[in-house]
Amino acid sequence: MTLADTLRAIVGETHVLVRPAELIVYESDGLPGYHRRPSLAVFPADADEALRVVRALAAEGVSFVPRGAGTGLSGGALADGTVLLGLQRMRKILEIDPVRRVARVEPGVVNVSLTKAAAPFSLHYAPDPSSQTACTLGGNLAENAGGPHCLKYGVTLNHVVGAVVALPDGEVVTLGDPHGTGDAAGYDLLGAFVGSEGCFGVALELTVKLTPNPERVVTLLADFTSINDAAETVSAIIAAGVLPAALEMMDQATIGAVESSIYAAGYPTDAAAILLVEVDGAAAGLDDDVQAVDRLCRAHGARDVRIATEPAARAKLWQGRKKAFGAMGRLAPHLVVQDAVVPRTKLTALLAQIAEIGGRHRVRVCNVFHAGDGNLHPNIAYDAGDADESARVHLAMKEIMQACIDAGGTITGEHGVGLDKLAYMDSLFTADTLDAMCRLRDVFDPERRANPGKVVPVRFCREQRPHKSAG
Amino acid sequence: MTASLIVPPPIVPPRHATCPTPLTLARAGLDSCVHCGFCLQACPTYLALADENDSPRGRLVLMRAVVEGTVALDDPDVATHLSRCLGCRGCESACPSGVPYGHLLEKARETLAALRPLPVQARVILWAFARPALLRVALWFGRMARDSGIAAELARLPGALGFPFAMLASTVRDATPAWTPRTTPTRARVATLDGCVMEGLFTEVNRATERVLCENGYDLCRTPGQQCCGALHVHAGDAATARRLAKANIVAFEAVDAEYIAVNSAGCGAMMKDYGHLLADEPEWRHRAAALSARVRDASELLADAGPRVGAPLARRITYDAPCHLEHAQRITTPPLQLLAAIPSLEHVPLTDREQCCGSAGIFNLIEPDVSQRVLGAKLEQIAATGAPVVATGNPGCLMHIGAGLLLAGSGATARHPIELLDESYARRER
Repeated sequence: MTLADTLRAIVGETHVLVRPAELIVYESDGLPGYHRRPSLAVFPADADEALRVVRALAAEGVSFVPRGAGTGLSGGALADGTVLLGLQRMRKILEIDPVRRVARVEPGVVNVSLTKAAAPFSLHYAPDPSSQTACTLGGNLAENAGGPHCLKYGVTLNHVVGAVVALPDGEVVTLGDPHGTGDAAGYDLLGAFVGSEGCFGVALELTVKLTPNPERVVTLLADFTSINDAAETVSAIIAAGVLPAALEMMDQATIGAVESSIYAAGYPTDAAAILLVEVDGAAAGLDDDVQAVDRLCRAHGARDVRIATEPAARAKLWQGRKKAFGAMGRLAPHLVVQDAVVPRTKLTALLAQIAEIGGRHRVRVCNVFHAGDGNLHPNIAYDAGDADESARVHLAMKEIMQACIDAGGTITGEHGVGLDKLAYMDSLFTADTLDAMCRLRDVFDPERRANPGKVVPVRFCREQRPHKSAG
Repeated sequence: MTASLIVPPPIVPPRHATCPTPLTLARAGLDSCVHCGFCLQACPTYLALADENDSPRGRLVLMRAVVEGTVALDDPDVATHLSRCLGCRGCESACPSGVPYGHLLEKARETLAALRPLPVQARVILWAFARPALLRVALWFGRMARDSGIAAELARLPGALGFPFAMLASTVRDATPAWTPRTTPTRARVATLDGCVMEGLFTEVNRATERVLCENGYDLCRTPGQQCCGALHVHAGDAATARRLAKANIVAFEAVDAEYIAVNSAGCGAMMKDYGHLLADEPEWRHRAAALSARVRDASELLADAGPRVGAPLARRITYDAPCHLEHAQRITTPPLQLLAAIPSLEHVPLTDREQCCGSAGIFNLIEPDVSQRVLGAKLEQIAATGAPVVATGNPGCLMHIGAGLLLAGSGATARHPIELLDESYARRER
């Protein structure tokens, strides 16, 4: 009996793919510059099937890569000649408890579906990656996903309270405190698992916090004729003691792409940059924050500040921002997307440096990012068929990343390392640190069969010591 | 016309090994996909089957693989997943990058049709729809089967056998109350598309459309010589027949002096608005086609423009399901709701996922019954959740597909064209 037969016996005939024409569809995630073809793809329907699949793979010693919706932007969910374990069929919301404000979900539940399901209780799931209409909560867990509203509400790590996890050897462990009664005792193993990019195992079930909807929400759109002014306003808002729910920036190239799409939000296309600032909370006192933001924007050179309070008007402003990455497809056939974090106070200098690098390499950098977090997303649209342009794009990206590292920043804010950032890991961490990461992984996956070849370059894992006894 | 009643031969467009395929010529459209995945949750077949091969992003990967030669054009998996697409274009309403998915699908199917003939029942249907006299006879038999109650009996046949008869049975209508529009024409002159299925099986809906347009001030005129719009053909990959039908319609409607062409079938309206694209490569037709497309309006658009006039109260709970080729292909969202809002006392319960396809998709429900039924199942659940005994939707395919689903489920609810409801509301004023 082949592995495929074994897996078919578990999940059914139609949920195991082996033919090349069907596997080709799973060669890329949301970053289509990378293509890796899996040897087989298997889609379990529920936790029981998923566990039996993991155990069957363990019995054969086969490596595997968990995948949600394939919206990741670091090539993290690509299976290079190994098994792709797709969790998209596991999309049941198992329980919503409005009293304890938690939800129990399967890993394939789409992020926004949970917020929709929680809406009748005036609750929502706070982390809102731009891909929230497509990405899965399991994928969010693996990547420790962020999103615009993480500035105030925190990232995935702050919202997952428990996870039932299948370790790659087929053992099932419960991490964290799925009952949500308080912190689990001992080391925070759930914290280690969140953001492990599929290298530590597969979540079969997640328990996440639900956040009460704010009493009142106001979204401000500030329009700047200078990108410098916009960047300085970001620091000024935070320095003034206002903590917006979200603080986003988009430059002119990005605005142009969005405004020509079906998600056109009415952004001023002649602005050098816009800031999208959202303040929320108790109705009392919120106007003070709105006025403070409005005043600071104008004091720093904003040409105009538009204030939206109606849900439909606010949603329109946000749709434009959230679909900006997809809209870049209008500019050129291919796209590189970056994700770097710099200290917020250095945003102005970094943006100038990015513009200089882009100009020198004759590539068009579009910036759309979580300014309040200092989380930059420089994107370059280009034609991969043009070898000269491709080379310039990759050189420019490398220099941009180095500039961010030199400024005291890091190489990913929310997209993960995956395959795409592997090459930067040794410029950011010492060999000892990388080895420590490998050893942490060995606790969960000593055989290193889960998502092999991602996050930490293999050469930095000094030796495999899975079962070394003390002394 | 030489119409023989034997099974027609497969449609085989000319095949030239060295010629670029229609799909390779549309390559630029493929390149605009950045693989963001925002289309996944907008795709009924992805939601039903949970395999990306059955999603817009996955199908675009398959198309690109065929264009680049990494997968053979005659690969059976490519054919399977491309033919499983409903062509609802829900993905286009979610795509930030503006991928022209509907056009790409048509080009892909046209390319594949050269190698792989359509299933025989599809060929029979497309062949008949391209022959007006024959189609009229076939639809006459359909009406006979429906009105005699035979269709309702045969609808009890199991599964895919009974479903087409249930579709037919669902088109039955009570005698329409007679009423006469009150206004003299003050608005634009309008020609109407009769539509094959609309005139053949929804005759009363066509008459209702005419009355309601008149009531709202439009001056109607008839257009002889019009034919099937060609939508079924182009969606199935038979672009050659679609172009022939489009040209016949262009000639017919050029001959009438009417500012607009009113269409009460979303699928036909979407097709006619796309004639400019369909004939873009034929210099002598391109401008005529575009000029015709510019005159086409969904009947709900014209009524929304007019006001529309308020009718008598109709105390009834209804829900509205958006036909894909109205919502996504024509991007018409509010006019049908404005039309329903002109009916006092009508209680409109919003339908969850109303923008999702019902699974009808032209002749998809006859050639891919399994996938179609799964998609319909989700729709029927949502309709049941509204508790409404009437679901309004402005397209014959959707009316028959949802209608058959409701009939077979024994729900007692029915599917009605929004204009039928407005017509009934106007008729009640006379009492």
